[in-house]
Amino acid sequence: MNNSKWDDKTIAAASSSVIILGALLYYWVGEVQSTVELLELAYGSFKFFNNPMIF
Amino acid sequence: MLSNFLSNYRSVAGLIFVVLAVALVELFEVRASVYPSLLPFFEWLKYSSWIGYLGITFGSVYATVQAVHLISMAIIGGTVLVTDLRLLGVLLKDIPSETITKGTHQCFKYSLSVAIATGIFCAAGVADKVYYMPVFWIKMLALLVGSCFMFFIKQPLLNSRSHSEIDPWILRILAVASITIWFTVAATGRWIGFS
Repeated sequence: MNNSKWDDKTIAAASSSVIILGALLYYWVGEVQSTVELLELAYGSFKFFNNPMIF
Repeated sequence: MLSNFLSNYRSVAGLIFVVLAVALVELFEVRASVYPSLLPFFEWLKYSSWIGYLGITFGSVYATVQAVHLISMAIIGGTVLVTDLRLLGVLLKDIPSETITKGTHQCFKYSLSVAIATGIFCAAGVADKVYYMPVFWIKMLALLVGSCFMFFIKQPLLNSRSHSEIDPWILRILAVASITIWFTVAATGRWIGFS
């Protein structure tokens, strides 16, 4: 590991970016999952194609 | 040894402190105990403060302030996209990324100030509604994290040296994290509007 490249600011930037991305990915995937579950509950099944909700 | 670490790795130590603080807040359920005590403040904000009164009484004032809020959010989105897409090497490749980063950050700072000031006014008009909305708290958290990330992590690194001396993968992950967090702020903001 090169000390001039991996200094305090670089480590903080890399680790905080990974934490933020992980947390936001977890949040948005959870939102998509709960939306799909809600649609399944309302319409019996959820399909991207031949969707009964589209008239 | 600890003092040596704290003096050489101040940002990393700060980040570790924040992560530990968040973990402790969740572990001891501090959020759940503080939440009910915030309701009187939100009720006061809507029914007793002058900004709440203005927002409820004069629809035109509320609409005007909300328009300024949306414009400032659009400027924030624009500055973030220009900076981060340049860092990703997608656009404005003929302009040095250092120039773009410094130029857009000034604009970002002013827009953020306006967005926060007008956002408080907009929230005051519907304070008793947003208090019960989980997405409002998600937005506040994303705004806080995004601002801290911008002022304490991203800008200090980008202003510390020439971008060619920074690992390209660090710049890329920094840009993607920045775009994602400000996308979340914008998306949750519109979610509040449509709820």
